[in-house]
Formats: sequence, C-alpha cells, structure tokens
Amino acid sequence: MTNPVLEVRNLVTHFRSVERGKTIKAVDGVSLHLNAGEIVGLIGESGCGKSTLSRSIVGLAKPNSGQIILDSTDLSTLKGGTLRKARSAIQYVFQDPYSSLNNRQTIGEALEEALLVAGLPAARRSARIAELLDHVGLPATIAPRYGRELSGGQRQRVAIARALAMNPRVLIADEPVSALDLSVRAQVMNLFFDLSRNLGVACLLVAHDLALVRQAASRNYVMYLGKIVEEGASVQLYGDPRHPYSRALLASAPNPDPMAERARPRVPLTGEIPSPTNPPSGCRFRTRCPVVQEVCAASLPPTVEVAPGHRASCFLVSAE
Amino acid sequence: MTAVYDIRDLTIDLYTRSAAVRVVDGVSLSVAAGECLAIVGESGSGKTVMSFAPIGLMPEGVSVGLTGGVQLAGADLIAGGEATLSRLRGREVAVIFQDPMTALNPARSIGSQIAEVCTLHLGLRGAAAEARALELMRLVGISDPEARMRQYPHELSGGLCQRVVIAMAIAAEPKLLIADEPTTALDVTVQAQILDLLRDLRVRMGMAMILITHDIGVVSNAADRVAVMYAGRLAELGPVDQVLMAPTHPYTRALIDAIPRPEDPVGSPFRGLPGMPPQLAGPIRGCAFAPRCPQATSGCATLRPPMRGIAGSVGWQAACHHLTLAVLPKGAAA
Repeated sequence: MTNPVLEVRNLVTHFRSVERGKTIKAVDGVSLHLNAGEIVGLIGESGCGKSTLSRSIVGLAKPNSGQIILDSTDLSTLKGGTLRKARSAIQYVFQDPYSSLNNRQTIGEALEEALLVAGLPAARRSARIAELLDHVGLPATIAPRYGRELSGGQRQRVAIARALAMNPRVLIADEPVSALDLSVRAQVMNLFFDLSRNLGVACLLVAHDLALVRQAASRNYVMYLGKIVEEGASVQLYGDPRHPYSRALLASAPNPDPMAERARPRVPLTGEIPSPTNPPSGCRFRTRCPVVQEVCAASLPPTVEVAPGHRASCFLVSAE
Repeated sequence: MTAVYDIRDLTIDLYTRSAAVRVVDGVSLSVAAGECLAIVGESGSGKTVMSFAPIGLMPEGVSVGLTGGVQLAGADLIAGGEATLSRLRGREVAVIFQDPMTALNPARSIGSQIAEVCTLHLGLRGAAAEARALELMRLVGISDPEARMRQYPHELSGGLCQRVVIAMAIAAEPKLLIADEPTTALDVTVQAQILDLLRDLRVRMGMAMILITHDIGVVSNAADRVAVMYAGRLAELGPVDQVLMAPTHPYTRALIDAIPRPEDPVGSPFRGLPGMPPQLAGPIRGCAFAPRCPQATSGCATLRPPMRGIAGSVGWQAACHHLTLAVLPKGAAA
C-alpha cells in the first residue's frame, strides 16, 4: 500500500474562550488520512469542529499539538518560506462563491494572482489560465469577465480553478455546493470526480448533505464534539452505521419520497450538541445517546474495528 | 375546506432605476386552514417575493407593482393598502425567517422580545405580557422558560433561537404562518425537531402554513400540497404524494431526479439539469423552461402553456404543452 498524501495524527486545536480561563476544545485528538485521487467525506453537525479541523489542516487555524504529514513531511517541523511552499500543495475551497471572489477583479486577474504566488513566469500565465479554466469546464473566453457577471455555479468553478493554480495534491472543500441550487450542484460535484480521477487530487469534502456525501465520497469520517466517532467506506457507513450518533444522524435526514418518508423510523435525538468548552466526561455523545449506559460517563470509549477499514468508538460496539 | 389565503392571477413587477423585472407572473393558488403548502423553486424563481410582497415585506427602496387579487381571511391585501396590512401583519399573518440569529435583536433578552409582541398584538402589559410569553415558550418546547427568558440570543443555540422566533410568530394565533426556509440554517437533527413542532402547532391551532423551501426532503416531511415555481411562474401544483412521486412537468421531474438517492452507486456521477437557471432580464415568451427542457418543441418557445388540471385528480395542475402522466405507485394517497 502506498503512503497517504495527507495524514493527520492526533491533531488538537483549542481556542481561548471569551469566558476567562476557559478553553474551547474544537478539535480534540483527531487522526485521519487521505490517499491520492480519493474523495473523503467529513460529516457532523455544526459545532462538531469539522470546519476548525479543515482550517487547521491548511493553516488558517493554529493547532496546539499533533502532526500534519504531507507527502511524508511533517509540516510542524517546517518554518517560514519552506512551510509556505510545502503548504501550497493543500488548497481550500470555501463555501460561498459570492464572498470568496473579488468582485473588482476579472476572472483572469484572480487566476493570474494565484499563478503569481505560485511563481509562474509571466509569459506562461495566459496559457495556464486557459488550461485551468478548461479543467473546471469553463471557456477561456470567460477570463476578461468580472466575477459579478457569473452565476453561483460558475463562480464556484472559478474558485476551484484558482485552488488548482497551485497544483495542489490535496483539496479541502468546505460545503462547496451548499450555496448553490440543486440543478447546478451536480455540475460542481461531478467536477470533483474529474479532479480526483484525472489529476489525482485528494479531496476532503466537508458537508452536511448526507446523501450527497454518500455518493461522492468513497470513505467518510463522522465527527462529534471534536472527535471522530466513526469512520468507514460509504457502503459500510451508510449501509450499516455502528455508532449511535451516526445512526441518529443518518436517520434524521428526511426522505424526498413521501412514502419512504412516512415509513422512516424515527430515531429521536433530543437536545443539541453540548458546548465544546465543557464537553461531557467519557463518551462525548452520552448526553444525547438513546442507548447510554453507566460505563459511558467513566472513560473514553475504545475504537473498535468492526470490519476492515470500518471503525467506531463506542462501548456497545466493542461489547458486540 | 375554505381557503384562508387566496392568490388569484398575481403578477409582481420590481422596478429598479433602470429596469422593470417581472418576478412573479400570473400565479394562482390558495391555502386552507390547517393545511401546509410548500413552495419550492431555485433562487430567482420568485418564491420569496411572491410570499412577502403581498404582505408588504420588501426591502426598503424597492418599488413593487402588484396586480391580481390576494385575499387573507376575507380582506383584500392589494386594494387595502398599508393600513390593512399593518392591521393584519402579526395578527392574521406571521412570518418565520430563515436565520433565527438575525431575526432576533441581539441586545435584548428573549423574554422581553416575546412579551413585546404580546403587548403589540394582544394589548397585554407588564406581568400579563410576561405570563403570555412564558406560556408561549412552553408551547414551543423551550425547557426551563423562567430562566431562559432572561437570556440573550447569543447565549442560545440556533434551534432554540428558531423556537423563540416561532413563539413570537404564533403569539397572536395567526391564521396564516409563512415560514421562509425555517430549517435551512439548522442541523438535520434539529431540523427534525423544528418540523415536528411546526406540524404540531399548525394542527393544534388550525393554522394555514406556507413553507418556502428548496429541500424536497422537507417538502415530503412537512407539506400537504406543493407548488413548484420556475422563473416566476407555477410549473406544477398539487398534493405532495402525486407531485413528488409522479411529477408531470419536465422541470419537476428534473428537479426530483437531481436528488441523490440511496440506490445510486457510490462514486457514480450526479444527475443535474443542463443549462442555467433563467435570467429574469426580459419578458419570457412561451414556456420559461423550454431552453433546458428535453421535451421542448418549437411551439414551447413561443406559446406560454397554461396551468391545466391533470385528469383523474383533484387539485393537481401543471403548465406544460407535453404533459405526460406517470403511474402513481401503489399506496400513495390519491
């Protein structure tokens, strides 16, 4: 087996709370890996730390401890220019294509700026801009136009083209289609398939639309209150979720088919995600878990491999 | 069932400094007491303007021209003018907005915000208003309302804030509740709770509800009937089971087909619609969906299809020259 492109080991990102002396444990010991050409889903409710985790990986948030290993190089051992250069291989696609592009720049200028940062000589830039636009399925004639003239779907493609300007090995996409209409989502999602298959880019797809992630990602991580509670291939995780949280999360999405919706078993998940300043002891899900036991409060649940590549962190799963 | 809210041939034009844009074009629909009508459509389909312009909720500086008839609880909203509207808003019709965090005043406690609505619409003062606020908070399932009353919006989660907004909306027991994407800003687990709450309140209070959404799953969960809008016009209107399980309009079909399904293989390409959503710059001759429609013929581009009833069904209509009737699966409510 080849080494993963990106490996995150035991990453911890804490913030100082506005309340004096308190710490927000946004990411609390997360490990994951991405292989080349693979789309990996990261799912969980808002406040579970999935955005902080993504931002920590690209360096937009500063991790307290843990390692981010890119192509066998631990980024925490690098500094200054070397770190910047290494980290340019990880690129980020933001959620809202309306605020991530500068309205006063043409598409060509936005891409050229990225190529300037990448250090491409001026003479070769225009050819590369045409190539980048071609990768994302836009005509080169769009380059002199301004971002505001484009639709949401086109803008998101330009944002992806800009990320590709750095020749990334890893693309982190934080809710890349949730600001887009259903009819144009498919075009952008299919683009991620093309990028991973044709360019070998590894994608971390952060999203809350579970049906979308199931179809796009080959593997998934489910995150709850700063920790990964379950991971597995889409077929395993969506077909046979093992952690009570994954089960509840997957069961709460309404089904577009009215008959299936009426027949959908309800797994009521009461309350909301607790505050990460003071997470529950033991298993963090125990305050909302429908099958909670006494042991859950005492210590952290072990992570059990229920099938090859399918792991869940729960006492009940380990007892089975 | 009698209609609480009735729209007849409504057309809405927005006037900007340089142009007039027709955002709603000849829409007729109605909602009965205790019924939930979902309005679905993509951005720019006119679903929000159609719901808010008749009750006078438009951004400042936008001039709006309405023609047609809009009746709410026996009052004519278009002829009545601002005086009628301000008498009805909050009492007969209330609104829930998408983002509960921005719908609430961050600088005032939630108790005082709910009590204020009770003062304004029910004429309650002081302790009486506060008592009604407590009652409303219990009604929308806020635990420990006495303590929560003193809290500020930033201290509450999104789901709790949305419950506060709902409490304010139902304070005067309105006949019509317009909910604009009420769960879009919330997580799926919380979404389920809020949809259950809205259903419970609607049935208990006999309220009519208009649910604006782009999520077909929410429609399937919460609505009795659904109106599908495209480019300011109705494409299809009918009972949820019929429209979602046997869509007749090519746009409805494409929209439902674009939803990822559990039986789609992992890694298979996503289905979408070709082309782009329409730009409402100029008047559209013919069918607005024709440029993206796989079934379009030359007549579609020139002749606008009227809403036509679908044979064998009550209250199911679609606007298409090439209506094809799919067979309803067994078990669907006719």
